[in-house]
Amino acid sequence: MVVRQYAQELEYLERLTPHSWRIKKGFQPNMNVEGIFYVNQTLEKLMFDELRNACRPGMVGGFLPGVKQIANVAALPGIVGKSVGLPDVHSGYGFAIGNMAAFDIDNPDSIVSPGGVGFDINCGVRLLRTNLMLEDVLPVKEQLAQSLFDHIPVGVGSKGIIPMNAKDLEEALEMGMDWSLREGYIWAEDKEHCEEYGRMLNADPSKVSLRAKKRGLPQLGTLGAGNHYAEIQVVEEIFDKWAASKMGIEEQGQICVMIHSGSRGFGHQVATDALVQMEKAMKRDNIETNDRQLACARISSQEGQDYLKSMAAAANFAWVNRSSMTFLSRQAFAKKFGMAPDDLDMHVIYDVSHNIAKVEEHIVDGKPKTLLVHRKGSTRAFPPHHPLIPVDYQLTGQPVLIGGTMGTCSYVLTGTEQGMLETFGSTCHGAGRALSRAKSRRNLDYTEVLRKMEYMGISIRVASPKLVMEEAPESYKNVTDVVNTCHAAGISKKAIKLRPIAVIKG
Amino acid sequence: MNEMFSQEELVLPQCKYEYLDHTADVQLHSWGDSLKEAFEQCGIAMFAYMTEIETVEIKESAEIEAIGHDIESLLFHFLDELLFLFSCEPYLICSKVTITEFMCEGEEFKIKCKCYGEEFTLGKHPQGTEVKAITYSAMQIVNEPDKNRFELFVIIDI
Repeated sequence: MVVRQYAQELEYLERLTPHSWRIKKGFQPNMNVEGIFYVNQTLEKLMFDELRNACRPGMVGGFLPGVKQIANVAALPGIVGKSVGLPDVHSGYGFAIGNMAAFDIDNPDSIVSPGGVGFDINCGVRLLRTNLMLEDVLPVKEQLAQSLFDHIPVGVGSKGIIPMNAKDLEEALEMGMDWSLREGYIWAEDKEHCEEYGRMLNADPSKVSLRAKKRGLPQLGTLGAGNHYAEIQVVEEIFDKWAASKMGIEEQGQICVMIHSGSRGFGHQVATDALVQMEKAMKRDNIETNDRQLACARISSQEGQDYLKSMAAAANFAWVNRSSMTFLSRQAFAKKFGMAPDDLDMHVIYDVSHNIAKVEEHIVDGKPKTLLVHRKGSTRAFPPHHPLIPVDYQLTGQPVLIGGTMGTCSYVLTGTEQGMLETFGSTCHGAGRALSRAKSRRNLDYTEVLRKMEYMGISIRVASPKLVMEEAPESYKNVTDVVNTCHAAGISKKAIKLRPIAVIKG
Repeated sequence: MNEMFSQEELVLPQCKYEYLDHTADVQLHSWGDSLKEAFEQCGIAMFAYMTEIETVEIKESAEIEAIGHDIESLLFHFLDELLFLFSCEPYLICSKVTITEFMCEGEEFKIKCKCYGEEFTLGKHPQGTEVKAITYSAMQIVNEPDKNRFELFVIIDI
């Protein structure tokens, strides 16, 4: 890491617009392209505080601030355009969380990095709508929350209840949501409203270690812990009436269900295995990076290809996982209201991935290019008319689901043409942590947090009491700030705001 | 059928670990009178983050083996093996780990370890935080026999 005074560091940062900053070359060594990050005034302060702290004399150990990490990513071989920091950016491993970067596939030096995807491969958010209104749910809210909690296995050490053996898992890894459909867990139209139609075709389960499969098998159909959740939400505000109606959201007070989960132990192990493999590949191919955490391999190398195929299998695992929980949520609602999920109109509005690498076509310097786009803590946000978005959303742009944290609002945005040009069709993914978990536990009081939830009218079911403090809204950046920044910067557009009324967590 | 254990095996070690701040995750800090002890403590620290470790009885045991190409990777793989023990069959949560073979010098880096605990059971063991993965991020290994200082710092992804 280059050691400079804070004031000297600032010389490398330049305000571009009221909502974006440029990171000039030289901020970190060997930058191939510039960096950019999107913030508003509040978020800007958090970013600069983090940098100032890292510049304090005598700082040892600790971790790199997000801006430095964005700049380190800009130094990776084969990167094109800019290394982009989204408004919810915070320090991660190698890549910042809330970081996107695209690599030119035709450049033989270009790399793929598991750090640019994250441990929780294809962690993402799915939104289901219903035709219920707030007044239908309020009288049975507690029971409904309990029922969801009873249906969906949550928290550390919980096991899936969807029957699965090793052979089923192999098929699920290869087929993604086509497996869920074949087994009767989902509706055919669910696939339509899912990135990649819920199946990455290049998935190759034979590239996945037995270890990952063993970890994955008992966990399929489980929510997990940490920031994952299932929420019953109510439409609080509609910003774009037309886009909302295309999504089947007609008015305030309508009830939705949001599921935030990923590929569980399966994806974690795939990522761990790949990192070990890539360390070797880096030595062999003499790939130099600024940070040891940025383990990577050339896209064309054996390790690079193997990772992409096993990552795709993990992505399929995550879709099957979210689909299984979709099934369980539909069951919980159907039982409570004595109506079929069909009659409750419980369709999938959309399903997004916010930890993934994908091959996409983009325009770079006026020319079409095939790129490997890494989105870590960043959501794809394609504009209207893009060929990869479903026919229902061709005119509105892709729905982008931004999950809040326990007790805060969530948003649905739509993709824009400007986002396509500036950020390779990417936007933020959520709130982003502001406080460390340990600090949250020290500073916040369990009963206080719960009382606040109750006051806000939120039923809560959490498996781990510790998590209540760690995941309290105070521990996160304000998701409204994050979303407003994306909207103001034009990289995506606000459509709907949702407020939670029941939270189920690990 | 429960395994039989000697009195000595059932004695729990002293707690020589703590949890340090990290924005998104948690840093394990462990120490001991030898590097071996610091390793054992680090393993327990990870298990203690997943549940309240006092609730874990010693009913069964498992043996693991970890190999690395340097001391950092040995620690990484050691913890990864322990996490694996918990994540699938036998779903073992441990309150004690005893390293029986510890090679941390020269060409070979290798650990053999006996892990004592029981199957993680909802209802009996309170759910703590799920550990996704072990990371090399800011990993530090203090190995200073002359000062009797043996400490480990590992960030786990949660």
